[in-house]
Amino acid sequence: MRPLRPRSALALLGLVWLAVALGAPLLGSQPIGLSDLLRGDPTALAIFWQLRLPRVLLALLAGGALATAGLGFQTLFRNPLAEPYTLGVAGGAALGAVLALRVSEGLGALGLPLVALASFAGALGATALVAGVAIRRREGETGTLLLAGIGVSLSTSALILFVQYLADATQTFRMVRWMMGGLAVVGYREVLWLLPWTLLGLAALLAARWDLNLLLAGEEIAASRGVDIPRLRLRILIATSLMIGALVAVAGPIGFVGLMVPHALRRLVGHDHLILAPACLLGGGAFLALADLAARTVMAPADLPVGVLTALLGGPFFLVLLAVRRGRG
Amino acid sequence: MNEPPVLAARGLVREERGRGNAGWTLGPLDLDIAAGECLALVGPNGAGKTTLLRSLAGLRRPSRGDVAHRGRSFEGLSRRDLARRIAYVPQVRPASVPLTVREAVELGRYPHLSRFQLAPSAADHRAVDQALAAAGIEAFADRPLDELSGGERQMAWIAAALAQEAEVLILDEPTTHLDPRHQRDVAGLLHRLHRETGVTVLLATHDLDLAGMLGDRVLALRAGRIFSLGPPREVLAAESLAALFDAPFRAVSEGRAARLSLAP
Repeated sequence: MRPLRPRSALALLGLVWLAVALGAPLLGSQPIGLSDLLRGDPTALAIFWQLRLPRVLLALLAGGALATAGLGFQTLFRNPLAEPYTLGVAGGAALGAVLALRVSEGLGALGLPLVALASFAGALGATALVAGVAIRRREGETGTLLLAGIGVSLSTSALILFVQYLADATQTFRMVRWMMGGLAVVGYREVLWLLPWTLLGLAALLAARWDLNLLLAGEEIAASRGVDIPRLRLRILIATSLMIGALVAVAGPIGFVGLMVPHALRRLVGHDHLILAPACLLGGGAFLALADLAARTVMAPADLPVGVLTALLGGPFFLVLLAVRRGRG
Repeated sequence: MNEPPVLAARGLVREERGRGNAGWTLGPLDLDIAAGECLALVGPNGAGKTTLLRSLAGLRRPSRGDVAHRGRSFEGLSRRDLARRIAYVPQVRPASVPLTVREAVELGRYPHLSRFQLAPSAADHRAVDQALAAAGIEAFADRPLDELSGGERQMAWIAAALAQEAEVLILDEPTTHLDPRHQRDVAGLLHRLHRETGVTVLLATHDLDLAGMLGDRVLALRAGRIFSLGPPREVLAAESLAALFDAPFRAVSEGRAARLSLAP
């Protein structure tokens, strides 16, 4: 069934990740030669260290966080279509962030922390709402969960539109641009900000790897083997929501990475979360970094927001999954 | 029976919210299950068999009353503690489980694993091998569950429960949806396990012959209450069954459950 042993596949992913981390910063609307860098060409150095590398690192972290969070949601809810974007968690975070952008005008330097706190609150609120509705009506899990996610997404987009309507033109432009999801950053502030939250999310999944593996056999069997399901749910949902909140605060809502990457990786490394979770961190990161590379080169010198690209890929992927999904999930 | 009961329910009540607004109640009931006993649970659909099993496995907290394992109330036991004492094989499982038989059985070791353990220990592997052997399914241990027949899958989940090395094994309708041969295989396995390992078995079933064959005692449940409890030949006699199921039964040979009468 599997051409590679899970551990070798993980090692391979690590190599791909490394190759992307080293290679992607050299490419772009204006390719940089290794020789320019080594010669110490100031323009090349500035582009590499201040523009390209932070952006690639942010993509590696953001993609990893999205895929890891997607994996967590999919296993927890036993639903292959669950991910931060479809469940409305990213939408909740975005609403929080947009509200913060609206009021933060006069707050100046307080910008990032306020946007971040608001994103956290939005992500946690949306998760609580969706999980609450889905857990309350256990029967027909799959449908209820996605419908709750759609409900939350619709509500948050409506509220975001409302906030945008109230905002002035400059603010509105910033918000719209940010809602597309993008990784255009200068410097390492965002990278350093996202790193601990991503590691926290990964650690939470790894610490619960046995529990998550057991959930593959259904909640009843997991509980009868000794898994404390409500506590597990709380732990994973809080960790993943914080991860998504932190991510949305810096990169906006980027859709479908959390859906596509875990699916592809299950085929590659199997279902053991001890391997699958780090694989998602590496694979999701490499995927988003490559997508961002495409986004900033295909229409160069224009810089397409990467969220637009992932949504263009992810929408059809979601529909195909929905159509071919075996059983009831 | 001077030994304390392995499982004891006292004034057990479990209120369930049904679909819609129609709630219903299990109990109040008292029940003692002796060490090494096999108790078979029968009764009409909706009598509360699954709810009783779940309550006795500690998967549902009683609304009132108490359940205890060897005198220790479930209230003071964590889910992990309970899983080391009681193994449960549910009737309804996900349609697709992306694991091999061995992986599924290995997960039965969960309550014995430490949080920081990266892989199962030698003792865990031994328990897994023993469980596979006891269930007689070594032959397909490395096949994916999803490729097995319903009967083979049932054997695998029983093996997974055995790997828990719990003192009590609770099964919810283990032979439902199986063809006659696999019904016989599962029944034979349970019979052998009970006799050879001395594990306490509690099972719910609609197969009255199975209840009569395996059960040291049979508990008939009706509308959430104990309807009758005693040796198979009493509980499964024609008159008792007729009253239990509201349907005419006729007596058959000694030692077997009465049969539903098809003649008007």
